[in-house]
Amino acid sequence: MQLIHRAVRAIGVILVAAAVLVVAAPARAQAVQFDTTHGLYYEAPLRTHMFVYTPSATLTANPSDWLSVNAGWEADVVSGASVATKAGRAYQATQPSADVISTASVHDFRNVGRGGFTVKKDNTSFGAGGLYSTENDYRSVSFNVMARTELYEHNTQLELDYAHNFDDVCDLVQDPNALPAGRLALPSSQGCFNPSDKTRTQHDIAIDNLQGTWSQALTPVFQMQGIYTLQIVNGFQSDPYRSVQLGAGLKAQEYTPQNRYRHSLAVRGNYFMRGLKAALRVGLRGYWDTWNITSGTVELEFEKYLTSAFRLGVNGRLYKQTGAIFWSDDYTGGAPPQLGPKGQYFTGDRELSPFFSFMVGVKATYAVAAAEKKVLGFMTDTKLVVAANFMQFNYDEYTLGGQSLGDVRAYLLNLGFSAGF
Amino acid sequence: MRTIPISLLLLASLAATGCVTVRPQERAVLADPVMVFEGDPVIAAQLHHAIDNREGSFGGSGVTGGGCGCN
Repeated sequence: MQLIHRAVRAIGVILVAAAVLVVAAPARAQAVQFDTTHGLYYEAPLRTHMFVYTPSATLTANPSDWLSVNAGWEADVVSGASVATKAGRAYQATQPSADVISTASVHDFRNVGRGGFTVKKDNTSFGAGGLYSTENDYRSVSFNVMARTELYEHNTQLELDYAHNFDDVCDLVQDPNALPAGRLALPSSQGCFNPSDKTRTQHDIAIDNLQGTWSQALTPVFQMQGIYTLQIVNGFQSDPYRSVQLGAGLKAQEYTPQNRYRHSLAVRGNYFMRGLKAALRVGLRGYWDTWNITSGTVELEFEKYLTSAFRLGVNGRLYKQTGAIFWSDDYTGGAPPQLGPKGQYFTGDRELSPFFSFMVGVKATYAVAAAEKKVLGFMTDTKLVVAANFMQFNYDEYTLGGQSLGDVRAYLLNLGFSAGF
Repeated sequence: MRTIPISLLLLASLAATGCVTVRPQERAVLADPVMVFEGDPVIAAQLHHAIDNREGSFGGSGVTGGGCGCN
């Protein structure tokens, strides 16, 4: 806890330092940059209708050539409904009312405050930062460090990033003698992180993230990037609200392993087509973890200048994953329902099931930089970005209300505005 | 599993021994905003946050945390 308090204090110091530097920043080419984004996410799988609004604001100050300081805030405003009890198709056939979308709406508000700085000397940069986030049922304190260097006349860039999260998730106080199949789901977030509420407790989650990035310019119009990411998660990783039907009349809070090692390897390439004044970007990513999920992602993006200030892009993304080794749509043992549970772990999380998804989208960017006169008399540069994406998920095994989910659709709209002063 | 760090080390070694392929005066296009990886980092981070919370995988887009906001 002492470490967490120190981390929170450090974030506060960074935020105050950023504010002071912003105010005290002397006039120069671009001393301060302001970024704000607003994202909307809407998903309509049957009756859940999840809606998330994500605003953010970031202030970056460059008080000198070697120092950059930033501070920001973002939030998630979440509303919708969630699956309170997950039952499989076989169980559902005889108990049609078992799979229930909670009638009580889900409302959550995630608030994140963050700050950081980067120092640069010649071709080498070092950075550090931290963040603190709160939700009704989740707390996160995180710090991150970064080192980057450029070699061979800037043709090669190597970067190493590390972050550690000290997270806590709320749960119902359980019977200490209860087996996993006897644990009860958290009915609501009411009373979470309130020490006087003796029906609530919290579990620690420690997350270590390590990422290495190698960027390489190969020709005057082509560059590539390779990224390896490792994440080690230790702690409570289930959804505390969700129950899984394990047998006739037997349901329990979902139960997943405490440890998870996650690896990903990504390769990206950017190619500029001079004749078209356009860029073609391709990305491939492979992922595997110790829960036996493997996935592959292919991304393609084409962005073209229509004028010197305005560019238009289209993008596509294909994604396919296998399920976790303990994933089952029905833990009651199949048809007809038998006594459960089937296996040591059980989950109703569709993100742990095998599925395929695709995304298509468009992006428009208007960016101007002041040559001699400032933009609108006070900005050195400004940028407006609008992006719209459509996603569809096709679940191989996951069912809801006894029905397959072959066409869950999600709509994303993002708006970004940046200005330099 | 040991092959991954060895492969990365091998790739890094190749980079270290690689010749300078692009001269400074030829870098104008590579510095163009459309050629920068994560050219719109905040928009990209927002998109990755939405996608990562709905998939069983992650990676390749930064390492900062901060909870889920997904329920």
